Amino acid sequence: MATITLDKLTKRFGRTEVIHGIDLAIADGEFVVFVGPSGCGKSTTLRMIAGLEEVSGGQIRIGDRVVNELDPKSRNIAMVFQNYAIYPHMTVRQNIGIGLYTSKLDKDEKARRVEEAAKLLGLEPFLERRPAALSGGQRQRVAMGRAMVRDPVAFLFDEPLSNLDAQLRAQMRIEIKALHQRLGSTIAYVTHDQVEAMTMADRIVVMRDGHILQQGRPMDIYSNPVDVFTARFIGTPSMNILAGGIEGDAPVARKGGPILLGVRPQDLLIGSAAGQVADTSGLTLWGPVTAVEPTGPETLVHFDVDGETVIGTAPGDEIPEVGARIEARAPAGAIHRFDASTKKALEPS
Amino acid sequence: MTHPTDHDTVPTRPLISQPRMSMRMRSNLWVWCFLAIPLVFYVVIRFYPTFNAFWLSLTDWDLMSDAEFIGFENYRDMFADDDFWKTFWNTFEYLIYGTPTSLVIAFVIAYYLDKVRFAHNFLRALYFMPYITTAAAMAWVWRWFYQPAPTGLINGVLGEVGIGQIEFLKSTTWALPSIMVTAIWAGLGFQIIIFMAGLRAIPDTYYEAARMDGLGEWAILRKITLPLLKPTMVFLVVFISIAFLRIFDQVYNMTTNDPGGPLGSTKPLVLMIYQTAFSSYDMGQAAAQTVVLFTILLVVSLLQLWVLRERT
Repeated sequence: MATITLDKLTKRFGRTEVIHGIDLAIADGEFVVFVGPSGCGKSTTLRMIAGLEEVSGGQIRIGDRVVNELDPKSRNIAMVFQNYAIYPHMTVRQNIGIGLYTSKLDKDEKARRVEEAAKLLGLEPFLERRPAALSGGQRQRVAMGRAMVRDPVAFLFDEPLSNLDAQLRAQMRIEIKALHQRLGSTIAYVTHDQVEAMTMADRIVVMRDGHILQQGRPMDIYSNPVDVFTARFIGTPSMNILAGGIEGDAPVARKGGPILLGVRPQDLLIGSAAGQVADTSGLTLWGPVTAVEPTGPETLVHFDVDGETVIGTAPGDEIPEVGARIEARAPAGAIHRFDASTKKALEPS
Repeated sequence: MTHPTDHDTVPTRPLISQPRMSMRMRSNLWVWCFLAIPLVFYVVIRFYPTFNAFWLSLTDWDLMSDAEFIGFENYRDMFADDDFWKTFWNTFEYLIYGTPTSLVIAFVIAYYLDKVRFAHNFLRALYFMPYITTAAAMAWVWRWFYQPAPTGLINGVLGEVGIGQIEFLKSTTWALPSIMVTAIWAGLGFQIIIFMAGLRAIPDTYYEAARMDGLGEWAILRKITLPLLKPTMVFLVVFISIAFLRIFDQVYNMTTNDPGGPLGSTKPLVLMIYQTAFSSYDMGQAAAQTVVLFTILLVVSLLQLWVLRERT
């Protein structure tokens, strides 16, 4: 196992700089998730760590060693790709075994390791099958098996769950997390799915346009986003952002107000739940309902406030009529404040 | 807008009338309409003459008189003829040396061309050019190359470096390889394009994953590229083999004065069939030779498909 350190890491494609000198230290055994929209540079960063992309500037260190100019194979890290990259003409056993291709272990030891990895991943019954005869989740496990047998110092995952359906994705999230707990290995994981980031990461790194916007434990980022982008990117549905101001003690939504008020749909309560918010210094909004999404345990209510759509939450058994005028309340502690021009958080809310 | 009710004055009748044929029948009708043209063409122009050739091979038809059934006499004559066997082996020489050589050269060029970014399209067009050039024109250019110095380019160069002249097309040893080189060159363009399409179809992540696992260039080629190119190779092997078994244009055009080269040393089966049919007008005999060629093509293709079949 090892640490991975990025020091003013830069990447240019021709004249276009896509990664603008990022700094990051991944601790030994840490599970770090890079998250951000398409084109934010997260995959490029991962590929530079892997050695599949050249580094244009700065340094990558694995342990104490600078690896900028090292071949991928000399870095002793393993990578799991989005399309699995398992070979259709090889059996599961051969696919996992190719991870040990350059290893100097003797034949029996190699076979033992392949068996061990297969056992850990529940692939034993499929060892002689070709990938075509496997389900998406099983293929994903084969790719993980190939990464594991080599006993690498770190694992890199590049959107490994994107090709799976929602149910399988949820299951694989748990499996990868459990695997990390068991192996204790350093993991850098790239995804555009904030749910994956929230559920799996020890630390989330939010990226946008080649910069790191924020990094921290999932709940820290969720509770204290540093800017509007992060606030809206993490958490689902996205945080409501409204222009407003402070009147007396209480935040008030007002068009053209000097600050931006952020409130998560889960904190903006409607119907009988709103009554529980006794706090008068909180935020109160009124408007006609435009759409309702009953999800079972709760109902997401879309309503209109001065031409802006806002999402609030009503209890599951209360489904307001579309067009009905409702009142929504959020406690003061749940209101995030951002500067209207810089979009940065004004103070830890 | 109000919904129509019972009191509406508009007569209530289904808006769309029920079609007479089922959807399945209608789509089948369309399919067969489009298939009919090639089908009729193939049956009349291709299949009928093919089957007729089997019958003709058992007759003594000479274009002028009526065909008369003579049993297997054409075959007996043919198998007793030394010239036939010479031609037979010539054809296999083209096949046995031509196919693997073409395949290896085409693969090597495609493999490296795939990695070249500089002037990629221009180079690809350059390699493809011979394929779209008329075989006759190409054959004549090569024919000049093979002439003695000072006309012949190759002999000119050989002379410059002090090597004796080679009588390419006039030598019983060199004539066949000389024509084979031309034929290989002429087919390369197509084969390179097919190989490149095959190479492009292999996802980059396969190579990236292999590099992460520490496989070297050679191991990647052997363990990943070649096995994944197998369907491409099966296609090309069969395609090239059929082309060599049917070789005619190059031979006919490069040895016009003496079609089939010195002492028939370059003559393939197709040229022999052509001469038997259109010089000697012995249609029955030519049909028998055609049947032999057909059988060889069938056996060779089936054999290759069987050898290169997908093992599961």
